Amino acid sequence: MIRTVVTGLGVTSPFGAGTKAFWTGVAGGTCAIRPITLLDTDGFRCRIAAEVPADALAGSPRRSRADRLALAAAREAIADSGLARADCRDAGLVIGAVGGGMFEAEKWYWARTRGGAPVDAASSLRAVLPFSHAETLGKALSLGGPRETVVAACSSGAVSLALARDLIEDGLATVVVAGGADSVTRICYMGFNALRLLDPEPCRPFDRERRGMSIGEGAAFLVLEDAEHARARGAYVYAELSGYGITTDAFHPTSPHPEGDGMVRAMRGALSDAGIGPAEVGYVNAHGTGTPQNDRVEARAIARVFETGEPLVSATKSMIGHTMAAAGSLETVATILAIVEGVVPPTANLCAADPDVTFDCVPGTARTAAIDCAISNSFGFGGQNVTLVFRRS
Amino acid sequence: MEPKETVDELKSILVTRLKFEPRRAAEITLDTPLPKGVEGSIGLDSLDFIELSLAIEERFGVVLDESQDLVKHFATIDSLSRFIAAQAGGS
Amino acid sequence: MSGAATRRVAITGCGTVNAAFVGGVPELSTYLEHPESRVRAEPSTEPGLVASVDDRALDGLTDAGDQRRVSRISRFAIAAARLALADADAPPEDLSLVVGTELGDLRSTKEFANGFLERGPTGLSALLFPNTVMNTMAAATAIAVQARAATLTLNAPVVAGELAIARAAAGIAAGRFELALAGGVDQIEPITELAAGGDARGEGATFLVLEPLEKARQRGARVFGEITGWGWRALNAPPCGVGRAEPPRAVLLALERAGLAGDAVRWVYDSATLDRERDDWERALLDVAFPHHPRRVSLGRWLGRHGGLGALSVAGAAWSACAGRLPALGGAMSADRGVGLVHGVARGGTHVALVVGAPLP
Repeated sequence: MIRTVVTGLGVTSPFGAGTKAFWTGVAGGTCAIRPITLLDTDGFRCRIAAEVPADALAGSPRRSRADRLALAAAREAIADSGLARADCRDAGLVIGAVGGGMFEAEKWYWARTRGGAPVDAASSLRAVLPFSHAETLGKALSLGGPRETVVAACSSGAVSLALARDLIEDGLATVVVAGGADSVTRICYMGFNALRLLDPEPCRPFDRERRGMSIGEGAAFLVLEDAEHARARGAYVYAELSGYGITTDAFHPTSPHPEGDGMVRAMRGALSDAGIGPAEVGYVNAHGTGTPQNDRVEARAIARVFETGEPLVSATKSMIGHTMAAAGSLETVATILAIVEGVVPPTANLCAADPDVTFDCVPGTARTAAIDCAISNSFGFGGQNVTLVFRRS
Repeated sequence: MEPKETVDELKSILVTRLKFEPRRAAEITLDTPLPKGVEGSIGLDSLDFIELSLAIEERFGVVLDESQDLVKHFATIDSLSRFIAAQAGGS
Repeated sequence: MSGAATRRVAITGCGTVNAAFVGGVPELSTYLEHPESRVRAEPSTEPGLVASVDDRALDGLTDAGDQRRVSRISRFAIAAARLALADADAPPEDLSLVVGTELGDLRSTKEFANGFLERGPTGLSALLFPNTVMNTMAAATAIAVQARAATLTLNAPVVAGELAIARAAAGIAAGRFELALAGGVDQIEPITELAAGGDARGEGATFLVLEPLEKARQRGARVFGEITGWGWRALNAPPCGVGRAEPPRAVLLALERAGLAGDAVRWVYDSATLDRERDDWERALLDVAFPHHPRRVSLGRWLGRHGGLGALSVAGAAWSACAGRLPALGGAMSADRGVGLVHGVARGGTHVALVVGAPLP
């Protein structure tokens, strides 16, 4: 049986360029949610988000913002893995995406509708669809293996890693670059405002006073590799992606199943795929958006799955907001580094935990803990539930 | 705004924003239950109620604060129009 | 989940809503025996050549509950999924869903943006917002047919449907999926600036039902075809552009998996859609792989480019393998039974190949 390991990490986050800046930020419990600068917020109740600083973007300004976030992260992951150019030629590329180049397309559409300085249609629309990231990165990084773009709303980044593992297990690729990317967009910002799901203040996952989520942006890519291939080339191994579970609620377009049925099945399926029991899991990186509904249902689902164990649970979104398609992969990096560094990042902005929370949410400050096995949860609109299991390798 | 006008506006919202067939909206009486799961209701769920809130804010200038318990006001067209009248009158 | 012995992949059902017909395997067979092109010049719109679906085709396939909140493109997907499950007579337990799409629900995205641009923040529709994310068709379909296992939406130009079928076949073979609806959906978009390329644009949805061959036989299902090989890769091409003739590795992977030599392929369902530059590239790739020039069928020339096309091509290939017929304008021609290839390549380099055969004992 082929095992899949992680040999490279790359991050573009609201903390700036690089995995190191990201880890320093989340392990330090720093909240990067600030007033929005990229969008017009007139008339909206929530006017904050976690934006990526301009100096963290890679590539030409002619590319879409999301492509530039993705390119920076993927380049770092490949460099970090020490892969040779020849390995890249056959490497797969799986990207979780939602907004694509919508940020640029909106500029064109807004100008076309409202008048004002005309914006060139061809260049604004060229990279609008989610698959554009894969075409840009595939060409720029010369990745010639299987190429896929998966759209699973807020769990897209996590699904990309699961699909990459399939490719390796099925022998369709030995190395896969996988992850998610999204920039802020007007559509996303306005949509969550309309749904009344945004907190005007920085989000407070699992807090009893929580009022909604905060929007973020970023990208994270991982190099996943056949463990034998990694060993043969003497690569550093961060962790093993030892299992995953993907389920569908088939219940409602935007609300989770009230009993967390799909979430529970995803977590249990992932543990079973990894061949471990709940007691072996030391850390749960929660989806934890900060909306009243998600956190309540997720807390109950975690309690059901881990009735016999007592894992630490924390929500990275309390620091970087909800980075949409990037969220699952950014949070995976936090999960893996928790295992590697023996430090569990905290849940920021948490004053008093919700009564539904029966576990330790690591409020405010990171916790030193030896973690051998950790899971990362991602749940998206459309009832798309994903749990990934990582083990110390 | 007269109560009849408020009711007509609400029915028009059901068509334009909640995408009910005009014929179906016309059949709805003051006492037809709105929320899903209630016998004889038109089957509105939480997402429909958010849409309805946005439309009410747009047409009547009444802001529905979701941190308060609004469920009882969404029971029927009658309860909703009374609530809107009270809010509009109070502000 | 993995590591199990490889299972054979049976096609036990097909459901489609496209510009030419609506139905399952019987309707597909009738069409392929006497195909006609539904691509029409549309002088009033920029895309030019379109093959569109008459919305009345959906009557009776989606219920009133679907009508109010589910968008047109999602209704295509729901209708095709229901037709496919009925066609396969499959109990929808442990059902996975793999949906390929190129454009998603851009129509709803545009309507959502217009709400704000015309009326400000309160003009935004909470109901429309979920449709702006491309997994909306899969989400609506999962609810309609109660698919509670994995749901995947794959986004790719031209070959999204082929990719979805290949993904699902690999999932069935490896034991990740027990029963899968796989295919794709698209609709012709009103944002004409997106339609550059000048090819024939189509719309509609097609799903196949895939399951392990052994299980299909156990439950006495009609096995319509077997997918014996698959491969997907990226060819070297700039974004939105085409590349050169080179050995098409997805084809080699698919043949290797099927245990076939290239000359065993007697005919190919390709992904030509009247985009001349791309179509020429595909022909050059196939010439490298198959010096014997197997006959080629391009359903996209008649039904237009859309996410459902890949599943239609796979279903067509299964029909050809069983019936020994190849569809042609003016009436189908006789052809070798046995196995054929479904091939797709997109501008930008996404490349898929599937080997499809008649079910053998």
